[in-house]
Amino acid sequence: MASQAGNLKKGEFIKYQGDIWQIQKTEFYSPGKGSALMRTKLKNVTSGKTIDFNFKSNESVETIDVSSIEMQYLYKDNENAYFMDNQTYQQYEVSRSVIGNVIKYFKEGELMYVFVYGDATLNIRPPASVTLKIVQTEDAAKGDTVSGAKKEAELETGAKVMVPLFIKKGETIIVNPETGQYTGRA
Amino acid sequence: MKIHSNPQNLQNYQTYLQVVRCIEMFLQEKGYLKLDLPVLTPALIPESYLEIFETEFRYFDTLEKLFLTPSPEIFIKRLLSDGIKDCYYLGKSFRNSEPNSSLHSPEFTMLEFYKVGKDYKFMAQEVLQMLSAISYQLYKKDIIVYQGKKVSFHKWEEYTVAEVFQKYADVQPDELFHEKKFMKRAGEKGYEIKNATYNDLWSQMYVQEIEHHLGTHGYPTVLYDYPVQFAALSKPNADGNTAQRFEFYIAGIELGNCFSEITDAKLQATRFAMENKERKKSGKIDHPVDWEFITVLENGLPESTGIAIGVERLGMLFTNVATIEDIKLITIA
Repeated sequence: MASQAGNLKKGEFIKYQGDIWQIQKTEFYSPGKGSALMRTKLKNVTSGKTIDFNFKSNESVETIDVSSIEMQYLYKDNENAYFMDNQTYQQYEVSRSVIGNVIKYFKEGELMYVFVYGDATLNIRPPASVTLKIVQTEDAAKGDTVSGAKKEAELETGAKVMVPLFIKKGETIIVNPETGQYTGRA
Repeated sequence: MKIHSNPQNLQNYQTYLQVVRCIEMFLQEKGYLKLDLPVLTPALIPESYLEIFETEFRYFDTLEKLFLTPSPEIFIKRLLSDGIKDCYYLGKSFRNSEPNSSLHSPEFTMLEFYKVGKDYKFMAQEVLQMLSAISYQLYKKDIIVYQGKKVSFHKWEEYTVAEVFQKYADVQPDELFHEKKFMKRAGEKGYEIKNATYNDLWSQMYVQEIEHHLGTHGYPTVLYDYPVQFAALSKPNADGNTAQRFEFYIAGIELGNCFSEITDAKLQATRFAMENKERKKSGKIDHPVDWEFITVLENGLPESTGIAIGVERLGMLFTNVATIEDIKLITIA
């Protein structure tokens, strides 16, 4: 499918220079001389590499139709993360270099959408929030009442996040996996 | 689109107001006359890369198309030809089909000022003095820190367009000014050249490979002498390839655009016709062309130079914030 670069949106997948890329960011830019441009940040779905590229806003770009399938996250190794389609029980792998840091916040068994093109997986769509238990954090020192002060906490997945001082070991909290930020108590 | 109120930006907004005050003080002390100008006009200067906002005046059976001005130039040059000397406009301008982004919104605050009897090189020095004056007023020194990087207004980093294409994009002058050779080179570099014009590819390569380097080495960068293709209203240089236009940059952000103004009516009429044809070809809103502007030149526009500066962008730099939205109390987005 062809689309004018000016219409590209974050999250879409395109074919560019023979590879498939997911659009991470777009911004329209008119430099006032020559064509207006669509600034994009693109992530290569094979290598995980990101590049900045400026398309002419009227340039035809090949967008690809991908299906997003809800899957269960099974486990990971050094190279890949493994998922299962709960309808067909078919297993899929996605390269960890493409998924990036969000994987640190996933418990085995977590449900999320995986983008599939033909037989190949492209990337996951991370859930907006995940619920995780705190396995280690220091008790807040008495009298430390600075508003907004934070401390480090280790989650059940091994990831570390900054939490408010009043949060205790054993509590369950909500984290945004894309930013790695604490958003509240569960 | 929605209306957003941003009271959290009050402090940034106050710095922005100070920047505006410094600009006006600087210009008025130098004898520039402040102009209060309309933003609705019945005719426009044709500019092929700008889309416009169209509205209409209605009174019983009378219906007349009016357009929001994308720049105050159309009025200022009339005044110059009528004998008004150095002057400036600081107010709203409007550009359609350019969505909100970190550096732009469809209505924005523009500073245009004109100096009679001088050329673009003089204007570059005037602008540097203005930047330095704002910096001194705000921070008592001529250095600011923008997003972690120092910028000194002590001098310009100066380049010609041909020099930066050589330095950053490895494109030689004989390729840069030769449309066919340039397009071939762009194709070799991997740009999509199908259905693209020289101007489109030039713009794409410039933004992709060059622009982000400009104004990042401790000083603002001034870039002189654009190919004639990008200089609809500026005076051509004797080399036949370039025109007297400069732009200046800080931290990779374009802040202003200056010309030595065309005074040759015949040349201007040709450029108008060309730009108007381009507008029609690209399906832009049809508007009456201000042909009287040509008469203005025939009557004699004095030798002059004019610059347009994005005031919100300048405010953003002196406030050290990453987007123009950060200095606004109300945004429409």
